[in-house]
Amino acid sequence: MLSEERNRLLCETGPGTAMGELLRRYWHPVAGAAEFTRQTVKAVRILGEDLALYRDKSGNYGLVDQHCPHRRADMTYGFTEEVGLRCNYHGWLFDHTGRCLHQPFEETLHPEGRFKDKVRIKAYQVQEKAGLVWVYMGPRPAPVLPDWDRYHSRGYKQVAISEIPCNWLQCQENSIDPVHFEWLHDNWSRVLRGQDGPYAPTHKRLGFDEFDYGFTYRRVREDTTEDDELWTTGRVCLWPNCLYTGHFEWRVPIDDEHTLSVGWFIDELPGDMPYEQDTIPSWHAPVKDERTGRWIDSHVMNQDFIAWVGQGAIADRTLEHLGESDRGVILIRKRLLEDIEAVAAGRDPKGIIRDPEANHSVHLPIIGGLDRRPAATDGPRPFVFLAGQPEEVTREFKRAWEDCAAAAASEALASGG
Amino acid sequence: MAETGHVHTLGETAEAYGLTPGDLGDWAPFSPVEVYWARKHRLTPVTARRWAAAGLRVSDAVRATALGMTPEEVRPWADAGFAPGDAVEAKETGVPLATAVAWREAGFILPDAALLILDGWTLEAAVRARYAGIAEEDWRPRLE
Repeated sequence: MLSEERNRLLCETGPGTAMGELLRRYWHPVAGAAEFTRQTVKAVRILGEDLALYRDKSGNYGLVDQHCPHRRADMTYGFTEEVGLRCNYHGWLFDHTGRCLHQPFEETLHPEGRFKDKVRIKAYQVQEKAGLVWVYMGPRPAPVLPDWDRYHSRGYKQVAISEIPCNWLQCQENSIDPVHFEWLHDNWSRVLRGQDGPYAPTHKRLGFDEFDYGFTYRRVREDTTEDDELWTTGRVCLWPNCLYTGHFEWRVPIDDEHTLSVGWFIDELPGDMPYEQDTIPSWHAPVKDERTGRWIDSHVMNQDFIAWVGQGAIADRTLEHLGESDRGVILIRKRLLEDIEAVAAGRDPKGIIRDPEANHSVHLPIIGGLDRRPAATDGPRPFVFLAGQPEEVTREFKRAWEDCAAAAASEALASGG
Repeated sequence: MAETGHVHTLGETAEAYGLTPGDLGDWAPFSPVEVYWARKHRLTPVTARRWAAAGLRVSDAVRATALGMTPEEVRPWADAGFAPGDAVEAKETGVPLATAVAWREAGFILPDAALLILDGWTLEAAVRARYAGIAEEDWRPRLE
């Protein structure tokens, strides 16, 4: 249970709020890089700020205020040039640092005038990594954008993005809540399938451990022991707004009542021949069934979404009754409050990487390890995390799997295996 | 004997944390991530084992050591039925055992109670707030 004030402190992420200041110390994924093969400018709302994300003709990304500083026209209707984004209203051109590069009529009338030097548009740093477009909206110098080891695994990768109509914190609290899996996913899925059999094995014990980049949560269930990797390795609540279980699920605040769910997924492929993926596809995952108007409940993350939006636009934590299953939730709330204080005192919060030399394939705990993860042996597995995977992505994965399986079979034949 | 997936993962994780098989042997039975965290916070294998015997995982032992606690301080909490890590949480937040017991009786687990106490809540006020909108005669008898 939290007081109303504490709840607000943890949930409000707009400019000038304490949690907003904390979250602005991290890089956040806001789009798939593949989206910028189809468009050059995209409207994004992140941490309560309306912005225009673009990729210019030189391939540089920029993130600027949605409104032109001239007469407030919408920059998301602007157009990119060799360098920068030009407003469609009077043609003012801005680069990714926010500098005004060109004011056509002003420069015609006053070729020597330097009015453009006196004008800036709000601009934030942008980077592309692992098929995602990342933004940093905090004070400089920005920390390095983490290079997690999983990005370098061999496999078919894809990005799926959804908009969830609720606050980010209730989404992230799910990242350190092992028991929900038994009920929301295992047992409810059985009910949804009309199965009458026994419920899933129950949780017997939970544990939480801190490490540099977050917390691991560990569990022993009726059907496992302390020798199982569910206990010895566990899953990762990646700081401050992500879940990592071999795939990543970021929960990026759009504003206080909406969250961008950004999923990064990888499927292992047969054999060990080199595999290069041209583009990591990025797709929009729907959350509502348009035919019924109800939330989609068929896939793992969709089930999570139902729980989160069910808690309300901003969960009222003054009315909670927290129990033993919620120790992880309390742990991260407490740590977020400590980090808010750290930022207010001018210190770095948890999980920031500043040394570029320390940012090469940074290890995250993963059940099963990274370097010998087997591909499915009986063909490409269906995508279980989110509903709505486009057919072309399903097809591309199937083709990649079949090509790799064929190459592996040829290699085995050639080596007499 | 064939290497199991579990053993392989341990080896791979140890390598990722810069640990040798010898390190893992010295630190048995701790996991690589625990060994890494313990060494980062200057906990020795002997100390980590003493804390483990009191029921504390390495990350709680690191917090306990930073607070100047001894493993013996955990016992009264364990005897009162609290999780060993609760002793550290209580020390961190200045919650005495008797207070923790009273809040537990009212249905608040220690970490939840500790945050509320830090926030200036009394037990009575917290109970009333939690049952907002529910008639008192429906919840009060269950707490007495």
